[in-house]
Amino acid sequence: MIAIAIILGCCALGAGVAMIAGIGPGIGEGYAVGKACEAIARQPEQKGSVTSTMLMGCAVAETTGLYALVIAILLIFVAPNTLLKVWQKFVDANPGV
Amino acid sequence: MTKTIRFRLIDALLIAMMILPFIGCIVLKVLFTPPSEGVSVTGPLVYLQLGIKPQPLYITEATMVSLAVIIAVFALCLYLTHGLSVECRTKRQLIAEMIVEKVTDFVTGNMGMRFVGFAPFVAAILALSALSSLSSLLGLFPPTSDINIVAGWAILVFILMTHYKLRGGVGHYLKSFGDPIPIFYPFNVFSEVATPVSMTFRHYGNILSGGVITALIATALAGLSSKILGLFSGAGWYTTYIATIPFLRVGLPAVLSIYFDVFSGCLQAFIFAMLTMLNISGGYPEEEAAARAAKREARRTKRLAKKTEKRVAKGAGAATIGVLTSPDTPDEEK
Amino acid sequence: MMTFMLAKESLDVIYINIWAIVISLVNLLILFLLLKKFLFKPVTRIMAERRAKVDAIVSDAEAARAAAEADKAAYAERMAAADADAAEVIRRATATATRESEAIVATARERAAAVKKQAESDIAQEKKKAVNELKGEISDISMTIAEQVVGREVTPADHHAMIDAFIAGMDSGDSHA
Repeated sequence: MIAIAIILGCCALGAGVAMIAGIGPGIGEGYAVGKACEAIARQPEQKGSVTSTMLMGCAVAETTGLYALVIAILLIFVAPNTLLKVWQKFVDANPGV
Repeated sequence: MTKTIRFRLIDALLIAMMILPFIGCIVLKVLFTPPSEGVSVTGPLVYLQLGIKPQPLYITEATMVSLAVIIAVFALCLYLTHGLSVECRTKRQLIAEMIVEKVTDFVTGNMGMRFVGFAPFVAAILALSALSSLSSLLGLFPPTSDINIVAGWAILVFILMTHYKLRGGVGHYLKSFGDPIPIFYPFNVFSEVATPVSMTFRHYGNILSGGVITALIATALAGLSSKILGLFSGAGWYTTYIATIPFLRVGLPAVLSIYFDVFSGCLQAFIFAMLTMLNISGGYPEEEAAARAAKREARRTKRLAKKTEKRVAKGAGAATIGVLTSPDTPDEEK
Repeated sequence: MMTFMLAKESLDVIYINIWAIVISLVNLLILFLLLKKFLFKPVTRIMAERRAKVDAIVSDAEAARAAAEADKAAYAERMAAADADAAEVIRRATATATRESEAIVATARERAAAVKKQAESDIAQEKKKAVNELKGEISDISMTIAEQVVGREVTPADHHAMIDAFIAGMDSGDSHA
């Protein structure tokens, strides 16, 4: 029982730690958007191309954050079941534990 | 131009073809949804399972919805191009021409005139991705939040990308990984492989995170509304029924879905198409490909000349020589 | 070998299935081919046809305009030629008229001169006649007057001498007058 609790707790903890990676894209995208605002203020006639370039850059910068998100989702929704199955198999194999 | 009954009938059929697949998907989903408590974050529903060798083949909700999207887009194409004419410009013809022109301009503007044949491909990516993401507005499972669907597209893009990189020759392709200094070789190979992976995760993660957040908020609102209703309702048999009405879920999720479904879905479709274009055209080695084409051309002309010589030696008619030795160089590569 | 079953469950949020990947890849290819065949090709063809048609119309209009220009130029040329003709005609007519009028004036002047000459000669004749008559009359009158004044018979010789002297005096007075 304690083992199951440890598995679940560590999965949740791991997901939370993984999402620290969200800081990076946040800062990066904020910086990109700020620069884009400056660019638009300097050259309002280039608004369209600046916006699309900024969205492109944001999407690329977002990638690391999304890797973290995928890891977190795996840890929350997929990993517990798999790990519990593994634990169950282990318990079935060694009834003495 | 007066529309004949046949014309109208075909129109109605096409419109039905646009709408019915989605209705069918909804019906399937309703039939197959297992009884469950509340909102949960899961993958697509499995409708059918075929045990084929390496992995079982699942016919899932994502498969069905993407099939529905394909059918709907196909029907839309037929509808837009139905009754196309040179001079009588109907509204739908204007729309069709606008789509074609816009996409072609988009593609040629980002990839150059060489890749003008990619316009339908980019249009297919845009339509499939955007409509798949938007299908979550109908309550369906958006196929783009299934990693396999997006991975398939990204792998196709990767195949195309590699194909165009190989135009510069296999040696050049292999050499390009050791770009600044040979030590970077493994890193460059890794980043090359990471391209489809990052494309997949970008699109999939964005749509899935929208779904997860919507589900979480829906669950939270349901809990909150049941708590609030529990405060006001007195004792009685109906209390349990009234308390399950999630009245708070009426307004807020709609606002969220405008961002997560509509904006994010369209934006990710656009970004996926943009990255496709940039990856394919950016990796294309212009000079090497041109040099290779020129070399091939030279070899071909040499071969032709040799053939002609042989013919001359054989004593073929003098008239054919003129034809064969005349500059038989085809135009620049398409 | 192949199992077939209806399933009523959901998959995990993340799962990797080769068949799903292949299916979606093929789906994208199919949609690409469909769009190419049923949207891009017909619309591009129609647009090319329209462009060809518009080009034909434009070239027709260009040709028509060129023809109109040529017509206009020819017309202007003809107009200029007509103007020149008219000017020539007018000039010729003016010249003829001038010549004729000059001729008329000349004849008139000639005739007037002849008339004048005639008149002058007539006048001179008349004058001479009148002078001669006057001479006779004066000689008669003077004779009479002289007979009366002198009271004596004047010989014709004297008479003539006196008259001639008188006339001479009168002539010189006339010519001086």
